[in-house]
Amino acid sequence: VSDEGIVVARVEDVPDGEAIRIDAAVTGTVDAIAVFNDGGDFFALDDTCSHEKASLADGWIEDGVVECPLHAGKFCLKDGAVLSMPATRDVACHQVIIDGADIRIVPNPDRLQ
Amino acid sequence: VTSSDALPTAGSPTERRDAGRVVIVGGGLAGFSAAERLRVLGHTDEITIVEGEDCLYDRPPLSKELFAEGFDVDALEFATGERLADLGIGTRHGRRATAIDPTAASVTLDSGEVLPADTILLATGGRARTLPVPGADLPVVHVLRTLADAQAIRDAVSAGCRAVVIGGGLIGAELASALRKVGAAVTLVDPSPTPLAHAVGELMANHLHGMHLAHDVDTRLGVAALIEPASDGSATVVLADGDRLPADLIVVGIGIIPNQEIGVAAGLDADDGILVDAHQRTSAPKVFAAGDVARRRGDDGVMHRREEHWEAAQLSGQAAAAGMLGLAPEVRGTPWFWSDRHGVHLEVVGRLSGSGTQIVREGGPHPAVFLIEDGLLVGAGSLDDANTVRAARRLIDQRIPVSADELADPAVSLRAMLRASR
Repeated sequence: VSDEGIVVARVEDVPDGEAIRIDAAVTGTVDAIAVFNDGGDFFALDDTCSHEKASLADGWIEDGVVECPLHAGKFCLKDGAVLSMPATRDVACHQVIIDGADIRIVPNPDRLQ
Repeated sequence: VTSSDALPTAGSPTERRDAGRVVIVGGGLAGFSAAERLRVLGHTDEITIVEGEDCLYDRPPLSKELFAEGFDVDALEFATGERLADLGIGTRHGRRATAIDPTAASVTLDSGEVLPADTILLATGGRARTLPVPGADLPVVHVLRTLADAQAIRDAVSAGCRAVVIGGGLIGAELASALRKVGAAVTLVDPSPTPLAHAVGELMANHLHGMHLAHDVDTRLGVAALIEPASDGSATVVLADGDRLPADLIVVGIGIIPNQEIGVAAGLDADDGILVDAHQRTSAPKVFAAGDVARRRGDDGVMHRREEHWEAAQLSGQAAAAGMLGLAPEVRGTPWFWSDRHGVHLEVVGRLSGSGTQIVREGGPHPAVFLIEDGLLVGAGSLDDANTVRAARRLIDQRIPVSADELADPAVSLRAMLRASR
């Protein structure tokens, strides 16, 4: 599997409870991708909140959920489903592969440029 | 003010009950949240929302994004017609409820139609308070509460136009910021040198108000005494001290008045809002109230301030849904709100004024402020640092002891403090 996806960061770059923002140019996607570490589990979603223009990588991460840093709309880390207003639309999710010390992303084909 | 003796007390949850046909008067955030939550909780009977406006929409962007490209009803709507149909939520748009019968649980519309119900939710919100001075009814004077209000302000603004905003609270400050951004010459009038001090503490209020000056918003201390019309359609705001502020556009943002009349007329207990318990129950068994129109009376009889913030409306609507079904409301976190102005994002949780010790965290572009009492955090406020407030909210809710030194130290993240306590 190690040739699948794109290496975007090392595991140590994303401490527990935090996230990093991967520029869209790296993954060839239409939006930047936020990579989250929630208790040692890694997830990747489109970075831009579907409500206004905040970066979800700056959000609050807890119990499988990211809370937007602006208006606290909530999204499921696993699938990007919107869980709470003011957001009303899901965000896209991407596949994450932990390959040793590397974090690889397999971009959601629907979100490729 | 009527006697509150009849008000039910919030006790343990009663048994689940069937709310029957639910009519919700008012389709703002509280009303919509109640309807949505009723479905989540398994309510299968009819839900009808009566809303005078054409759609159900979110209001915070009205004072912040009204000049932004793409600002329209599609961006504000809680749900499309399709989604409402999926949820089985019926709507009566363009109709106003004129009366309720709390015994029969029916709602009369301005068309004369009577909607039969088994449970009623009053989510009628509030209306903008107007200035009690001569000239306040001139066409050049606006308020901001509805989408139509925002559109009227947008239509009245051009770059370089002179705008006077009366009231430096959240709405006034946000609007002054938005007007400045589109090139209006803005003067902001408030009787306090630090508006919002009660909500964000003196230091943060001072910092926030100072940002107006940095963005070329002229701030004036004072109160409007008179608005004089001019022959060209503009007007002059005359302050009590005699200062004269010529304006092409005047917006008044001095708070809201709860739309409680329909409940008062039906005999519900009310006092600056329809009185409710923790289950959003009013003094009439089949009638609930939520959102800006509702005012909570605690089990101990203490009257709470009406919370006019977004999340409070959402959560009270959800609590009303639970209450209608005889279920306990979800535990609510410490009250939280946000505001966006001059390109920065303010968040506040809990209280930042009153008893306790204020702690200031310097070191960033903006200060963060905390209030502690008896070793516990009771409030926090930050700018462009939401996660400090999100962490603070959890520290408050979980009653985790905090040290003043750590709070003041920009090198110690509140997230780390929260984690260390686990």
